[in-house]
Amino acid sequence: MLSYIARRVLLALPTLMLVALAVFFLIRLIPGDPAVVMLGEGADKAAVAALHRELGLDRPLPAQFLTWIAHVLRGDLGQSISTGEPVAGLILQRFRLTAMVVLAAVSLATLIAIAAGMVAAWRRDTSIDLAVVGASTLVLAIPSFWLALVLLLVFGLKLGWLPFVGYVPFAEDAVQAALFLVLPILTLTITESGVLTRMMRSSAIEVMRLEYVTHARAKGLSETTVLRRHVFPNAFAPTLTLVGLTLGHLLGGIAVIETVFTLPGLGRLMVESILARDYPVVQGCLLFTACVYIAVNLVVDLCYPLFDPRVAAA
Amino acid sequence: MRRRSRSSRWAVGLFAGLTGLVAAHAACAETVLRARLASDIVSTEPGGKRDANTDDVLAHVVEGLVAYRENGEIAPMLAKGWTVSPDGRTYTFALRTGVVFHNGQPMTAADVVWSIRRYLQPATRWRCAAEFGPQGIARVLSVTAPDPQTVVLTLDRPAPLLLKTLARPDCGQTGILHPDSVGPGGAWRGPIGTGPFKVGAWKRNQYVDLIRFPGYQALPGPRDGDTGGKHALVDRVRFMIIPDSSAARAALLRGSLDVIDSLSPTELGGVQGDKRVRLQFAPTADMWLMMLQTRDPLLADPRLRRAIALSLDTAALTRAVTWGTSRPDSSPVPAISPYFTPLHAQLRKPDLAQARRLAAAAGYRGQPIRITTNRRYPQMFDAAVLIQAMARRAGIRFQIDTVDWAGEVQRYSAGDYQALVFSYSVRLDPAMDFALLIGDKSRDPRKVWDSPRAAALLQKAVVSDDRAVRQAAFDDLQRAFLDEAPAVMLFNATRISAVRANVSGFKEWPAEQQRLWDVGFCGRAAC
Repeated sequence: MLSYIARRVLLALPTLMLVALAVFFLIRLIPGDPAVVMLGEGADKAAVAALHRELGLDRPLPAQFLTWIAHVLRGDLGQSISTGEPVAGLILQRFRLTAMVVLAAVSLATLIAIAAGMVAAWRRDTSIDLAVVGASTLVLAIPSFWLALVLLLVFGLKLGWLPFVGYVPFAEDAVQAALFLVLPILTLTITESGVLTRMMRSSAIEVMRLEYVTHARAKGLSETTVLRRHVFPNAFAPTLTLVGLTLGHLLGGIAVIETVFTLPGLGRLMVESILARDYPVVQGCLLFTACVYIAVNLVVDLCYPLFDPRVAAA
Repeated sequence: MRRRSRSSRWAVGLFAGLTGLVAAHAACAETVLRARLASDIVSTEPGGKRDANTDDVLAHVVEGLVAYRENGEIAPMLAKGWTVSPDGRTYTFALRTGVVFHNGQPMTAADVVWSIRRYLQPATRWRCAAEFGPQGIARVLSVTAPDPQTVVLTLDRPAPLLLKTLARPDCGQTGILHPDSVGPGGAWRGPIGTGPFKVGAWKRNQYVDLIRFPGYQALPGPRDGDTGGKHALVDRVRFMIIPDSSAARAALLRGSLDVIDSLSPTELGGVQGDKRVRLQFAPTADMWLMMLQTRDPLLADPRLRRAIALSLDTAALTRAVTWGTSRPDSSPVPAISPYFTPLHAQLRKPDLAQARRLAAAAGYRGQPIRITTNRRYPQMFDAAVLIQAMARRAGIRFQIDTVDWAGEVQRYSAGDYQALVFSYSVRLDPAMDFALLIGDKSRDPRKVWDSPRAAALLQKAVVSDDRAVRQAAFDDLQRAFLDEAPAVMLFNATRISAVRANVSGFKEWPAEQQRLWDVGFCGRAAC
């Protein structure tokens, strides 16, 4: 197992290097000068040139890249051009909040998907199945920003049950912080549960068609036992892959939801940094996201044998 | 009977106790005014790393020697008054007494000299340093303090725009700072100013708190622009960073927010008629325009530029883009300016037949003209779409090129465009508005109007403080502007603000600046 993990980590290194290269040069291809953005549209040319020098932006691109990558290899992602804060600290601080929302939402969405998908598959072509498929299709079709605004207007404004602007960190007030996170988590849970439910349902239907399930039923096992012991583990494996991909994708930032609910998360940091051409932050965020993606998928792969012993044997 | 009387006494005592507790709580409760910022401030350094939000927040914290009044004139702020030498090169400022910094230290002429010298150092990267360089209004030869209450500023040439430049919000009002605002190596620590509020907590991308400064020495009289009597009526002002305008509107209606300054016209429908909210509409002095690159081979011919201008119905465009809230304007002199005479009020009428004739005479054969715009400011994108549709009626083809704001600013700065929809923030003197446009493109590519005739007229307006001379210069500039058409003016925006019904004292003004001094909450009486 350890050698497998080591091999995967080593295989990830070239990927990360490619990401670093692409991120560094692509962000610089986008028109827009961070010094001009910082100093404003009427800024003096001499001031812009001085800022270029100070930020090292006047040096050739390959030299800038080598300096940056050398720092990255030492664990230093540099400093934000806009705020002067260390990028690594900024990312970790913002990631904590994003991770909290994403992990809670994806966990809830997975639980909903397992229950709804299994029931729909078990009661295939009945009104229950129709309801589950209809609801998950509807949820898939709804854009997250629209759902976020609707939930905000209903639970925040009309009913006044939940706060929706002015996030308070857990360290300051745990209850308020939890209340602030209800709507973002709910929005993300609903939007992500659609695709997971459809995946769970179709996988379960395929597994239920297999002979060993018929055999289990013929042995006289109860339906609950058949579903729990024989259908679920095999049907869940493809859903688990999708959960991993979803986690990796969402942990990279949920910019839309963070913007609507004014959460200071990683997605907003990335969007704001792109708009401000804050190169070190954009580079740091994307490199970090790639690492998270690789780590999440590694963990998911390691979890596979828990559900499908054939993978462990392979 | 006796028992009843005892229980009555208990009840009365309990009631009195509770009432006292509530009253004590009310007396001790901190008053917090919550206002919206669409994006976070950039720094706490006035006139340094900045944007409009940064200027707004820091205007509560620092003050300059002089400041803009509501009508765009200059009035004293930290200076008691000033005199100008007969040659117009020496300004002597008498300072107010009793003004203290947020750290309790009295403000002296030495602090003013230190502040101005610091602004002029290249390392400070002061936004307005170029105004005091070779291409600016004048060079500062010396800043001295002959005594603790007097500051003398000597220039290399007369500069009637000096005070208006010093007071510019984007220059940080040349705010006077205590030297402890920077560390030993000159590194920025935080603003120790003289304003009615001092900076409290700044949680990036969440909020910026300003705390009432109890030692603030207010000028007598009412609030007047950035000067006049300023009073902190609340203990704390919290600027909340809420990027999404719909979320901000919902927060206002819910009562989680007290003030939305600069409400998007698209959000008006959601708050109009709601008794929980009061709206204010204030015309501003900003400029929304379409620039035309006079060095472009196609657009170098002024006849084609005039044809484009004549193909546009700016009144209809303004109505559509601003949802009927703003007024169209064909002059760089803003409608609220005292120099906005009937000549400037004349709106250029669309004339499609003439536009076609002029375009044909310029040899235009339907070549596409690229118009750059962005989606960060929806009005700019909408304006580009309408310009495209309107010009098509005169046979002029525009192709919309949408970039993000940073990309557009870069194209503007490099002059890399054919047509570009843009807006300039407020300048409270028409000479400053024209100065944004007029200049030598080979030296400064972002300049829009490279014309010796215009430059000479602008110079007249800059060097004179005679009202009639300046008016004549602005009138001539307007005629030349319409004739040469280096840009097409579209409108001056109206600033819309929405405040909770229990908020008192909030007032918009033409500088497009959020002022939260003299703003508080109504008591039990109606606002």
